[in-house]
Amino acid sequence: MITFEEVTKIYPPSTVGLERVTLHIDKGEFVFLVGPSGSGKSTFIRLVIREIQPDRGRIIVGGRDLATLRSWKVPYLRRNIGCVFQDFKLLPNKTAFENVMYALTVTGNATSTSKKKAAEILNLVGLGHKADSYPHELSGGEQQRVSIARAFVNHPPLLIADEPTGNLDPETSMGIMQLLYRINKTGTTVIMATHDREMVDRMRRRVIALDAGRVVRDQKRGGYGED
Amino acid sequence: MGKIDFFLTEALGSLRRNYFMTIAALVTVFLSILVLGGVLVFVYTTNALLKEVEQKVNISVYLKTDPDPSMDEVQELQTEILSWPEVKTALYVSKEDAWERLKEDFKDSPEVIESISGNPLPASFEITLNDPQTVETVASRFEGLPIVDDVRYGKDVAERLFNFTNQARNFLVIFIVLLGVVSILLISNTIRLSIFARKREVEIMKLVGATNWFIRWPFIIEGVAVGLIGAAAAVVVVLLGNSFLVGRIRESMPFMAIPLDAVPTLFVSLVLLAVGVVIGALGSALGLRRFLKV
Ligand SMILES: Nc1ncnc2c1ncn2[C@@H]1O[C@H](COP(=O)(O)OP(=O)(O)O)[C@@H](O)[C@H]1O
Ligand SMILES: [Mg+2]
Repeated sequence: MITFEEVTKIYPPSTVGLERVTLHIDKGEFVFLVGPSGSGKSTFIRLVIREIQPDRGRIIVGGRDLATLRSWKVPYLRRNIGCVFQDFKLLPNKTAFENVMYALTVTGNATSTSKKKAAEILNLVGLGHKADSYPHELSGGEQQRVSIARAFVNHPPLLIADEPTGNLDPETSMGIMQLLYRINKTGTTVIMATHDREMVDRMRRRVIALDAGRVVRDQKRGGYGED
Repeated sequence: MGKIDFFLTEALGSLRRNYFMTIAALVTVFLSILVLGGVLVFVYTTNALLKEVEQKVNISVYLKTDPDPSMDEVQELQTEILSWPEVKTALYVSKEDAWERLKEDFKDSPEVIESISGNPLPASFEITLNDPQTVETVASRFEGLPIVDDVRYGKDVAERLFNFTNQARNFLVIFIVLLGVVSILLISNTIRLSIFARKREVEIMKLVGATNWFIRWPFIIEGVAVGLIGAAAAVVVVLLGNSFLVGRIRESMPFMAIPLDAVPTLFVSLVLLAVGVVIGALGSALGLRRFLKV
């Protein structure tokens, strides 16, 4: 699904984002990306969705070399990657349902079947009864569920979450975690960047640890720290 | 169609949110199109008037006054003039007719007439031609005739008028171009502001994989709508102004029957609307230029 070969990203003038990162993530995997703040987790994610391009090295996503991907094709790459962020990135003047629909409209999929799809996905994340609520009427956990619904409504083969539980309390975080876990069970590859030691330790999934832009550990069924 | 709905609501909402810039852009588009429309109406009307002037009185031939020519001499000259193939009509204006006309022209200030003693005005022939081009040939035939004092033809007048309107036109063209540039810049600024106001939406659109064109459309519609609305308002004013102007000219110069279709109103309206759309599209393109690179 994702291959990094000796990938280096330097932010001008000389801040290291990632340094000589080589790794491979298979289809259907669930991967935790851990490391202290500033270790390069977000940089990794931005490289995968080609928001930025590396200074050196090769990145292959879904069989496509991102260096040779024409820029007009980038939107089509992104339609195959669901994205979830710490700050939810919901539109404040649109309801939960409209926020999910937005992802479909914007990709030219606003048909009557897509309305059904949006309603279904909201049920799936447990928010069918709050479809007409605006983001400010929802709790943080509920907002994050809406954003996950939006990311998953097209059933992308890859879902990336950048500290999705960073603003949530531990109990709510567990619910979000379980939602991502269920999404992974449908066959979608899930990559989750996180700080949450307890959750990583409990899940026992593949852990890739970054520090100062380098991969310092890549463990099949790891915990947050060395053990 | 969900897509077109989406574009229209996005564009409209954004225009309403940035209403101050929207109004500024609308006003400049309105003004530039208004001036352009005014110039078009002016050009068409003066052209029609000039043609009318040329055809109405092509040549005036003033006869000597001291002594005045006899009736026979006048008769003889008129017969000769009418025998020339270039001449359409030759109207004899006697001294008395000329005096009456002068009185009519100065009826608001009779003291001018009273201050003139006797009737110093010459009799004249007003000659119209079949083809205005032949005016010089015909005029030259009066040279040296004993009873003719002076020959004037509309050409000098027409030429002077043409020169004046040409200069006015050049000046106005520069003015219009300047106004056009200002409107394009203001529209592009409106678009840039509305992109800024919708940064979050644009970011999310990119994130979920909207194509650049999908993101651009609402902004383009926004710019074109500003151009079109400004132009439409200007068209209304220009058309009203034109019919008012025609009315006034008719009133003040009843002898100048300017044709109703001096200004091709449909054509002018379409041109003005098209210019509005082009200004709007250029403004949008400029506003979107450095945007959407990621
Ligand atoms: N846009 C940017 N410009 C300059 N430096 C950046 C930028 N984004 C991130 N960095 C730097 O790159 C390093 C890695 O950042 P990031 O990938 O955001 O780490 P993390 O998500 O793990 O906290 C940090 O030192 C950060 O300051
Ligand atoms: Mg980060």
